[in-house]
Amino acid sequence: MLALTLLLLLVASINYQLNLGYLLTFLLAGSAVVGMHVCHGNLRGTTLHLNPPTPVHAGQAVALDIRLTSERPRIRYGLGMGVIGADLAHAPLAWTDVPAQGSTTLQVAWPVPARGLHALPALTALTLFPLGTFRVWTVWRPAASVLVYPEPESHPPPLPPGEPQAGSSGSARVQSTGEFDGVRAYRRGDPIKAVVWKKAAQAFAAGRDELVSRDALSTQRQQLWLDHAQCGHSELEARLSRLTAWVLMADRLGLDYGLRVPGREIAPDQGPAHRARCLEALATC
Amino acid sequence: MLSTPRRAPRVPPEGGRTLRPGKAGSVGALDAGPSRRQGRVEARLASLPRETRDTLFLLAVVGWVVAMQVAHIPWWCSALTAGVLVWRGTLALRGLPLPGWPWRLGLLAFTLAATWATHRTLLGQDAGVTLIVVLLSLKTLEMRARRDAFVVFFLAFFTLLTHFFYSQSLLTAAGILIALLGLLTALVNAHMPVGRPSLAQAARIAAGMAALGAPIMLVLFLLFPRLSPLWGVPSDDRGRSGLSSTMRVGQIAELVLDDSIALRLRFEDRPPPAGQLYFRGPVLSAFDGVEWRPARADFPTRQALPSDLAVSGEPIRYEVTMEPHRRPWLFLLEAATQAPEVPDVRVRMTNELQWLTDRPMGSLVRFSAVSHTAFRHGPLAPTLALQEHVALPPGYNPRTLELAQQLRREHGSGPGATARLVEAVLERLRTGGYLYTLEPGVYGQHTADEFWFDRRQGFCEHIASSFVILMRALDIPARIVTGYQGGELNNVDGYWTVRQRDAHAWTEVWHAGQGWVRVDPTAAVAPGRIGSLQRLSAPEGAIAGAIRNLNPNISAQLRAAWEAVNNSWNQWVLNYTQGRQLDLLKNLGFQSPSWADLAYVLIGVVVVASLIGAAWTLWERQQHDPWLRLLQRARTRLRALGLDSSDRTPPRELAERVQQHWGTTAAAQGVAQWLLQLEAQRYGRPGAADTPTLATLQREFRQLAWPRKDTR
Repeated sequence: MLALTLLLLLVASINYQLNLGYLLTFLLAGSAVVGMHVCHGNLRGTTLHLNPPTPVHAGQAVALDIRLTSERPRIRYGLGMGVIGADLAHAPLAWTDVPAQGSTTLQVAWPVPARGLHALPALTALTLFPLGTFRVWTVWRPAASVLVYPEPESHPPPLPPGEPQAGSSGSARVQSTGEFDGVRAYRRGDPIKAVVWKKAAQAFAAGRDELVSRDALSTQRQQLWLDHAQCGHSELEARLSRLTAWVLMADRLGLDYGLRVPGREIAPDQGPAHRARCLEALATC
Repeated sequence: MLSTPRRAPRVPPEGGRTLRPGKAGSVGALDAGPSRRQGRVEARLASLPRETRDTLFLLAVVGWVVAMQVAHIPWWCSALTAGVLVWRGTLALRGLPLPGWPWRLGLLAFTLAATWATHRTLLGQDAGVTLIVVLLSLKTLEMRARRDAFVVFFLAFFTLLTHFFYSQSLLTAAGILIALLGLLTALVNAHMPVGRPSLAQAARIAAGMAALGAPIMLVLFLLFPRLSPLWGVPSDDRGRSGLSSTMRVGQIAELVLDDSIALRLRFEDRPPPAGQLYFRGPVLSAFDGVEWRPARADFPTRQALPSDLAVSGEPIRYEVTMEPHRRPWLFLLEAATQAPEVPDVRVRMTNELQWLTDRPMGSLVRFSAVSHTAFRHGPLAPTLALQEHVALPPGYNPRTLELAQQLRREHGSGPGATARLVEAVLERLRTGGYLYTLEPGVYGQHTADEFWFDRRQGFCEHIASSFVILMRALDIPARIVTGYQGGELNNVDGYWTVRQRDAHAWTEVWHAGQGWVRVDPTAAVAPGRIGSLQRLSAPEGAIAGAIRNLNPNISAQLRAAWEAVNNSWNQWVLNYTQGRQLDLLKNLGFQSPSWADLAYVLIGVVVVASLIGAAWTLWERQQHDPWLRLLQRARTRLRALGLDSSDRTPPRELAERVQQHWGTTAAAQGVAQWLLQLEAQRYGRPGAADTPTLATLQREFRQLAWPRKDTR
């Protein structure tokens, strides 16, 4: 549209022999040329830094936290960032100004396609400043990946009943070291109420700092196993979806749970690390 | 390169429905009186939502663009535009939705109809300007997407150009510059999508861009080949002050002196006396009792009155800068034998010594001319064509005819008495109590009778017309010549200025054996009118009068200075034609420049500028990192001292090699220490106390004691 305007102005100036018309046309053209360089300089030299994205469930959007840093002594106005999708021109953009010699953070949402480990999509950074007649853009492929967990089933059935403890399976039977039945050494992650405080007091009095817990195995004969083969669905994705929902549910309830997915088995445990391990197994199996 | 993505960063001003808490300014809240009110306005402005503010700013700029055009558009167009802009501003302030398409369509239809009614066409210059102004204001009612905003911007740029159809003066240019900066500011502001940047900030950026764009403008303006019009410009025959091609005597009750400038002259040598400064325009020979017109071409060419111009004496060389007057006339000092060279225009001389161009002079032109004030023209012996110059319409001016009879009785008749009769009539004008006045009142049917006998006053039109009528009644061929007479010297720049108020009508009387002889009867009535700088001046305004009373020189000096500035503007900007472009090339060393050379120079400048840009980029890329540059210098220095290293050797390894090579000499230790410091500068923890700055390292590098070169 700028080119059309300049052409019209020029033709009118020529046709009516308007010297001031020439001046106006050329001043506009000169400003546009300067604007092109300003536009280029506005984007050029910006440092982009991507904070490692946090895993999400399928169906949600990954929030990509991008820090834009500028070493220039002038403000960079109107930088837009977005994920390059199928349609580059219509990519939804998030806009920000980068302060002079400072940095700012920008969040770009990326709707993830499916579970699994995905490389991040190409991002585009562009600017239209100052006149909007030119667009300067760049494409950035961050070398990072994001883990996408399966989508949890929206209304999952209740957790399955526990399995009776197998005779000698699992790592829970390590504590046969001559102590009383049903009591074992404290392991990290044991709930506080399982600690035998009497014993602890004795131990402290004797100058040792050992804690003992009531052995869960002896009190809880049932063990919660989330097994892909026994969750009621036949299709893999549906199973994973249900298992994900169960993992989240069990985690919320503070239960010990184990997970069995094809080719992988995670012993019962609890806590955020355990949950992350389970979800990762669900995402990548 | 050019791309206008359709996705808007921020939907530009659209009613301002988003409510953004603004910062309520408290400027002037403590002041009393009017400044408090002003403070409130400022606070109100500061508290507007951003979209509303931007809309109002753009409307103000559009208003300014249109306001400059008010004198040239019909009143309904001004009113409609003002109404639409105010309406749009109110909508923005109140946050109401924009009107629907029936409104816009209705207004557009009304505009088309009114334009048709006013101009009888939808095309052409005036109708086009009217339409574009209304379209611009209507488009502000439809700013929904970014594309719409762009249309407004570029329509406004085009409207700006249309100002130059009417005026290209310095003041117009200043107004246009303000409008251009306003538009650029609005454009920049529209592309700052985040937060609420202040308009002053956007204005600074816009002004900076325009300032940087000015050199580009200058180069393009100087070197862009001036083409002749691509197609014919529709000629526009509007009434202008100054001269017209006909003269109705006695219709003007009061002549308002128009001080605008018609011509500027620069004489190469001494200027001729002011009494000789007659600039010839249309010659009027046909009279129907009311109106004087140019002679109809009744006679076949071979019988037409030949010009038979013969000149003598020293030629006067001068340069004329002629303001546009939209007539195909050139005003030259009487009489010019050679055709002046006017750029892009063919000129020819009529048999009546008037110089014509092949198209109306719609723009300022400058040309050089040669004239001779001593000249003779017209047939020496009576010819048939002279009969046209004694014709008078029957039934007009009976008393003048009687006066002619009486004069003939007193002074004789026939060709030999011509000189005596002319002198007698001039004597009558001198001594008969005739007055030169600008307010003669309206004359009746017998204009010459009223002048000679009743009113005895008038200005040059009345005097010349009455004189020629009397001459014709005496059977002496006579005609009226119109043009400009006189001029004044501007002491500031040495140019002579001829104004519209110097428009004049004089006469030519045919003498047997001499041809046409100029007689200026006005000089007989008012000698001061001719040949001196003193003129009747138009009543002046109160302020001008007060200034004149204070110091009569100040206003004259101010005016002279202002006109000198304006003149140099005309000379350097408006009159920058292809001829001057080629002169520029000649100064640059081209032998016989053509417009192709201009294009070469322009391309050359562009190429050189691009090469400089490319070289700078290359330089910047190569030496981008000062740290790497410093390390490279150290490597080169050590290599020259005999220490092998590759371009990838890190500073620490280099330091080790230095120590291996030269052992533990003080110089080697110093170099190694410096290299380790260099490493720390790059890879150490930032902000640690002992990390040297790069500048320190550079200084140390220069002061470093280097180990001696191996001589083995």
